[in-house]
Amino acid sequence: MEVLRLQNLQKSFGSVRALKNASFALKEGEVVALLGDNGAGKSTLIKAISGVFPIDRGDIYVRGEKVSIRSTRDAMDLGIETIHQDTSLAPDLSIARNLFLGREPVKLKWLGVFAPLDFAKLRDAASALLKRVGISKKLDADALVSTLSGGERQSIAISRAMQFAAKVIILDEPTNNLGVEETHGVLRFVKEVRDAGHSVLLITHNIHHVFQVADRIIVMRRGEIVAEQTVADTDLLTVESIITGADMSALLKETRAK
Amino acid sequence: MIAAEDEMPVGKRRPGLMRSPQFSSLVILTVLLAVFAIADANFLSPLNISNMMAFLPELGIIALGMTLLLTAGEFDLSVGAVFGLAPVVVMLLVQNGGVDIGAALLAGLLLCIAIGAINGLIVTKIGISSFLVTLSMLLVVRGAALYITQGFPLKSWDQPGFFVTLLAGSFNVGSFRFYTSLWWFIGLSLLAIYVLRYAKLGNWISAIGSNRNAAVARGVPADAVKVWLFILTSVLAGLAGMISAFRISAASPVAGTGYELEVIAMVVVGGTALTGGRGTILGTIVGALMLRAIRNGIVLIGVPGLAYNIFVGLIILAMLILHALLQKNAARG
Ligand SMILES: Nc1ncnc2c1ncn2[C@@H]1O[C@H](COP(=O)(O)OP(=O)(O)OP(=O)(O)O)[C@@H](O)[C@H]1O
Ligand SMILES: [Mg+2]
Repeated sequence: MEVLRLQNLQKSFGSVRALKNASFALKEGEVVALLGDNGAGKSTLIKAISGVFPIDRGDIYVRGEKVSIRSTRDAMDLGIETIHQDTSLAPDLSIARNLFLGREPVKLKWLGVFAPLDFAKLRDAASALLKRVGISKKLDADALVSTLSGGERQSIAISRAMQFAAKVIILDEPTNNLGVEETHGVLRFVKEVRDAGHSVLLITHNIHHVFQVADRIIVMRRGEIVAEQTVADTDLLTVESIITGADMSALLKETRAK
Repeated sequence: MIAAEDEMPVGKRRPGLMRSPQFSSLVILTVLLAVFAIADANFLSPLNISNMMAFLPELGIIALGMTLLLTAGEFDLSVGAVFGLAPVVVMLLVQNGGVDIGAALLAGLLLCIAIGAINGLIVTKIGISSFLVTLSMLLVVRGAALYITQGFPLKSWDQPGFFVTLLAGSFNVGSFRFYTSLWWFIGLSLLAIYVLRYAKLGNWISAIGSNRNAAVARGVPADAVKVWLFILTSVLAGLAGMISAFRISAASPVAGTGYELEVIAMVVVGGTALTGGRGTILGTIVGALMLRAIRNGIVLIGVPGLAYNIFVGLIILAMLILHALLQKNAARG
C-alpha cells in the first residue's frame, strides 16, 4: 500500500533550483533513506512535503488521493509528522508544553485560543510518553527544553512525532550531534516505528546507519533524484559513489578490467 | 535576618522562585519603596499614593500589551504616538465635528486597530523588523496628531458623561482617592496573566518568541498571532491615551512623547526577555510600579528636576545587569 507519492515536485529559491522534478513513492511500513551531499535538496524536499513552504509545481498523493499541502497544519492533519534538521523545539518552553505545542489539551474548548490548558492531562501524558519512548535519564516534564542536551532534545522531538501516530514520520538528520547511545536509541526507535506500521523517511549523511535500518535508498543530487535502490541489492561503496557522483561507467569498466 | 530565615523554606520548596526575574524585581521594588519611605515620610502618605496610582494604569496598560508582544519576539515603538493621537482624534470629532461621543470613541478604536494591523502586516508579511516599521509608524502617527491640531492642545474637555466616568471616574477609599482606570489596569492584568500563563494562546505566544520556526512547524499561526498582538498593543495605547485625556480633561498632540521607551523599560525591568520567548506579566506589573515609584520618589527626596533621567536610567541599567547575572547563574546551576 502506497502511503505517499510525490510527482515532479519543483521548487526554486530565486535563481537556485533546489528541486527539479523530484518523484518517488513511500510504501506502508517501510523505511526509506534519503541521501545526498550538502545542498542536494533533501531538506527542501521534506519541507515541501511537510508544508513549510508551498511547492512551485508538482503533485502530492497521500494514500492514493491527491492532496494540497499549504501549511504545516495541513501536513499534520494528513498524518505527516516531521522532525526538522534545525531543531524543532522552543527552548523557553517546558518539555510538556513542547510535546503538545499546536495540539494542546484544553478544557472549555469553545473558548478557542483562549481556552485554558489542561495542565493535569498535559503533565500526565507527557510523563507517560517520556516513559514509553524509554528515554534513559529521568526527565521532568516541567523542565525547560533549554536545560536539555542535544540528544535529549532530539528524543523529545521524536517522541512528539510518535505520539500523534502519524502515518509518515520524516526525520531530517536525527542523529546529528548525538552520542553513541543516543544514536542507537534513535535507530531503535526508527525500527519500532516501522514495526508499528508507520512509514519513515530518514535523511542522514551516515551510510552505516542506512544499512542498519533502511529498506530502500533514494539518492538526490542537485535537486534531482538520481538513484533508487533496495538496500538488499546494493552495498556501501556503490551508494557512496552514487552520492558523490563518481563516474559509474568508469567504475564499471575498472571492475571489468579486473 | 528574620526575613531571610522566613524565606528559607519557600526557597527549598520551589528552587526556581527566588531566582525568577519577577522575584528579584519584587525585592528591588521593596527596597526602593523602603528607601523612599525612610527618606521622606510623605512618600507613603495617602495623597502621594493616590497620585502614583493615578498615573500607574496609563503606562501600565500599554505595558501589558507590550509584554505579550515582546514575548512573541516583536516590539512596538509607536505606542506613545498612538497614546497622543487617539484622544486628539476623538475629542476633535466631538468638539469640532459635532459627532456623538460614542461614535467618536468607536472611530478612535478603529483607528488604533488600523495602526496595529498595518504594523503587524508589514512586519509579518513583508518581513521588515518591527523596530524599523514601528519607528516609522511613530513618526507618521505623531506627525498626524501635530498636523490635525496644528500643534496646539485642544480646548479643554467639558463634557462629563458615561464614558468619562467609565474610564477616568474617581472614588474615595478612606483618605485615598482612586480612579476607575485602576480597575481597568487590574482587570486587564488578570486577563493578561491568564492568557500568557494558562491559555493555549499563551503557549503559542511564548513558542513563537522562543523559536518561530518550531512553532510554525507545529501548525501555530505565528503571523496571525503577531498581527493580533500588534493590534492589541495599539488599542491598549489608545485606551490609555483616552484615560489620560479624560482624567486631565484635555488632549494634546504631544501627549505620550517618549512613553514607548518608558513602557519597554517597565517590561524588561520586570524580567521579560527582549529577545522573546520569556515573558512575565507579574514582572511587568512590578516594573510599572517600580518606574512609577522611582519617578515619584526622586522628586520627593529632592533630586533636581533635570537630573531625574540620570537616576531612572541608572536604576534601569542596574536592574538589567541583575537580571543578566541571574540568568547566567541559572544557566550554570
Ligand atoms: N530558504 C531558502 N532560500 C534560498 N535558498 C535556499 C533556501 N533553502 C535552501 N536553499 C538552497 O537550496 C539548495 C538545497 O538546500 P537543502 O537545504 O535542501 O539541502 P540539503 O540536501 O538538505 O543539504 P544538507 O545535507 O547540507 O542539509 C541549497 O543550494 C540551498 O542553498
Ligand atoms: Mg538539510
